[in-house]
Amino acid sequence: MSEPRRLREEGGSAFEQALLDAGASYRSSPAVRARTLAALGIAGTAALTASTAGGASSAALLTKAGWTKILAISGLGMTAAAPVGYYAWQKAQAPEPAVVAVAAAPRAQRPTPAAVEPPPAPAVTDVAPEPQRVAPAPKVEPRAHSASALAAELGALDAARSRLAAGDAASALALLDDYSRAYPRGRLVLEAEVLRIDALAKSGQMAQAKKRAELFLKRHPKSVLASRVRTYLTD
Amino acid sequence: MTELALQVVPGIVEVQSGVHPLIAQPGMKTDHEREREARLRRMVDDHLDFVARVLRNAGTPASEVDDEVQRTFITVARRLDDVRLGSEKSFLLQTALNVAAHARRTAARRREVSAEEAPELVDLATPEQLADRKRARRLLDRVLDEMEPDLRTVFVLYEFEELSMAEIAGVLSIPSGTVASRLRRARGQFKKRVQALESSLRPEVKR
Repeated sequence: MSEPRRLREEGGSAFEQALLDAGASYRSSPAVRARTLAALGIAGTAALTASTAGGASSAALLTKAGWTKILAISGLGMTAAAPVGYYAWQKAQAPEPAVVAVAAAPRAQRPTPAAVEPPPAPAVTDVAPEPQRVAPAPKVEPRAHSASALAAELGALDAARSRLAAGDAASALALLDDYSRAYPRGRLVLEAEVLRIDALAKSGQMAQAKKRAELFLKRHPKSVLASRVRTYLTD
Repeated sequence: MTELALQVVPGIVEVQSGVHPLIAQPGMKTDHEREREARLRRMVDDHLDFVARVLRNAGTPASEVDDEVQRTFITVARRLDDVRLGSEKSFLLQTALNVAAHARRTAARRREVSAEEAPELVDLATPEQLADRKRARRLLDRVLDEMEPDLRTVFVLYEFEELSMAEIAGVLSIPSGTVASRLRRARGQFKKRVQALESSLRPEVKR
C-alpha cells in the first residue's frame, strides 16, 4: 500500500502548517496527570515527578517502536466494535517494514514525557500530618498551579490512600482533614472527597459515607468519579 | 474481573456502573494489585498526552478533554486484566475513540438545544494572532468539526498520530481500501476548507 506523505511534511501554506501543528502538538497539563492518577485510585507522586522532569527518553522511543509491532495489519475486522481489531492486532505478527520506518521516527515537536519506569511511590509508614512531608520536592517554592504544588497535593492524597490501603481508615481520615485544611481550593478536592467517602465507609461510618456520597452526586452528577461514589448508595 | 467484557466494547463507553476495582478492596494490597497499579501508572506516564490529543482531535470539546482523559483511563483500568502486555496503547486508543465519539454526540445535541457559539473571526486577522497556537487550535477545530466523523478519525490518526494506513485499518476494524479512500476524501476536504478559511480571514496572506 502506498502511503502518502503526511500533510505536515508536504509544505502547504504557513496557515495550513499552523493548523496541523496545533493538532499534533496538543498536550495535557500536569494537573490532568495528577487527577487521572487520583481517579484511578493509585499513588501518583512518583509519576508526577518523573513527568515533570520532562524530556524525551530512549524509553519513550522504545514505546513508539513497540506500538508499531502491536499494530500489525488486520484484514479480519468487519464491525465497528473495537475489540475485534484489538484481538486482531494480537494475532498478527509482522508489520511491513515501511510501517516500522514511519512509526519509529521520533517526532521533534512533541517531547514525550519520560517513560522510564517510575520509582515506587514513597511508602508512608507513619501518620504524616504535613502534606509536604511526602511531597517529592519541598525545596521548590510551592506556587499555585505549579507542578510542585500539585505534587504536594498528590502526595497528601497518596499518604491518606496508603493508610486506607493498610486498613487504617482513621489515620486516612485525619490525613484527609489535613489535606482539606491545606488545600481548600485544591485541584484534587473531588478526588479527596471520594477518598474520604471510602474511608468513612471502611471505618464503619456508613451513614456519613452515604450522606456525603449523595451530596457528591447531587453536586457533581456528571463527574467521572460519580460511578465510584454511586457504589456507596447501592449497598 | 470482567472477563468477557472485552469481547464487546460498546460504542458508548459507560463508566457508570460497577465497583471501582481498586477502591473496592479493603485491607493490604496484594502483589497483583501492586502490579496493576504499576502498570496503570506506566500507562498514564507513557500515554496521557497521546490519549488527550486523540480525544481532542477526534472532537471532544476542549472543556471536556480533561474529564474524558480520566474516563478513558478509568474504563481501561476496569478491563486491565484483559489488556495484553504491550497492547496498552492500542487499547487506550480504541477506548479514547469511543469516548470521543460519545462526547462529540453529546456536544452536538447540546448545540442543537442552545444554538450557541457564533464563530468569532473578527479578531483573527493579524499574522501574530494566526501564529498563536490557541487560535490555530480553534481554527483547526472548526475545520475538523466540518468533517464527517469517519473521515475525521482517519485523518487525525494519519496526520497527527502518524499511524500507517494499515495500523488505522486495524484500529478501526475496516478494510485498508476504506482507510485509503477516507483519507483521500478527508485530505481533500481539509485542504479545501483550510484554503477557504484562510482567504476568508486574510486574503492578502498567502503562502
